[in-house]
Amino acid sequence: MDNVLATVQELLQRHFQLQPQQVTPESNLADLGVDSLATIEFMFHLEEAFDVSLTEFRDPVQTVGDIAAFVRKAQLAQAAVSA
Amino acid sequence: MKRTVVTGMGVASPAGSGTDNFFNNLLNCVSGIRPIAAPLGDRLKLRLGAQVSDCIENSFGVRSASVDRFSALALSAVQEAWCQSGAANQCPPEQTGVYFGTGFGGAATVETGYTDLFVKNTNRMHPLSVLSAMPNAAAANIALALGCKGPCLTYAVACASGAVAIGEASRAIQSGAVTMAVAGGTEAPLSLVILKAWEGLMALALEDRERPETSCRPFAKDRTGLVLGEGAGALVLEEYEHARARGAPILAEIAGYGLSNDATHLSKPDAEGQAAAMRAALREAALTGIGANDIAYLNAHGTATKAGDQTETESIKRAFGEHARTLPVSSTKALHGHLLGAAGAVEFIAALLALTRSVAPPTAHLWQADPACDLDYIPLEPRELKSPAAVMSNSFAFGGCNAVLIAKSVAPSSALRAT
Repeated sequence: MDNVLATVQELLQRHFQLQPQQVTPESNLADLGVDSLATIEFMFHLEEAFDVSLTEFRDPVQTVGDIAAFVRKAQLAQAAVSA
Repeated sequence: MKRTVVTGMGVASPAGSGTDNFFNNLLNCVSGIRPIAAPLGDRLKLRLGAQVSDCIENSFGVRSASVDRFSALALSAVQEAWCQSGAANQCPPEQTGVYFGTGFGGAATVETGYTDLFVKNTNRMHPLSVLSAMPNAAAANIALALGCKGPCLTYAVACASGAVAIGEASRAIQSGAVTMAVAGGTEAPLSLVILKAWEGLMALALEDRERPETSCRPFAKDRTGLVLGEGAGALVLEEYEHARARGAPILAEIAGYGLSNDATHLSKPDAEGQAAAMRAALREAALTGIGANDIAYLNAHGTATKAGDQTETESIKRAFGEHARTLPVSSTKALHGHLLGAAGAVEFIAALLALTRSVAPPTAHLWQADPACDLDYIPLEPRELKSPAAVMSNSFAFGGCNAVLIAKSVAPSSALRAT
């Protein structure tokens, strides 16, 4: 079980009032009604949820899976810095 | 020159949202002024405020939580005006402009950012802070919601912002630059920093402990100052022939717009500067056949400060001469508070409603007349108006800018399907 992905999915559902079956790793954010600004705002909440900083990353985010990958990358970068 | 008419009105105010509700409350002296609740109220020495208690969600798909309150209030007022006008898909988007006024813009968003950084030491700010706080956010959100692709402009002229935005929009229509415009003002100043800043100016009303809702008393002997309020007022303005051709409700015509600047003091009002703006608006109205004697009601700036109300009394006398003695004047700020950048728009709408419904709202809480304010201030009870031809609204700003709007009624014969 991918904890990061599961948490991202759950937060997306809650934040944008989406059904679980809508939020698959392949779901396109724009198709879910989550535009670029909403994505940025969502990332802000993810920073709190995962206690990471996402500000320094510029990877393109198009799907739900992209967000989870984004968070994992930030976690690894943070772990590397604090190691 | 083309003519500008009003085809839609919308209000979100502490004295009620929706024009019907708003105007009924003005006629019945229902005040939206209250002591501000804790925890914010606990930090204030002067804790009065006028909040919009109604739901201000809109059906444009813009969540109120995702924009600063000054934008959310504006969208709520615009929605009512836009629906009344039946303006959707009636005018090419490139020919439709947005002209909006605000004093402080997204001040609360900036305050939240400062609190996060300096108080909570979070070292990060909400990522949409820039887009929420920028003063043109309200106008931009309106244009986005309605698909307006013409000029999208924001006017920051303190307490005259809303009046200036309406006046400038009217001129843009008269010049042919646009055919339709959404115009008005919006303000959401009830945050700690703004309230504290005003507290220091010694201009805010002292609280009547027994009847706090009556603490703002324009033109009264016992007046002590203004009460800050939040709100928005919006109009749909339209070129006359365009409105007529599509059978839009033609509510009134913008007959005069006058501007002046005191250039005497940043905050102290100047009777001559104010009179100059009223005269300028009357000169313009004269071109449409409206004389000073045709003004049937004047919605005063009337902030309830000692100096302000006395100066305005003097300036009305200078601008109107003999007619000042019989001209019904009121300040509705007693009920909705001082809405700063929204004041000019909301109060012009109060005047427009007086024109279309032939009844002038009173000055509430005017139990004790002030000998220094000796005009007909319509104390306490509304006044029936017999076939009013025109109305005026005054807006005087810190900085010295004075803006005056005049609206005239449009003959029913030329107002197809007018309501």
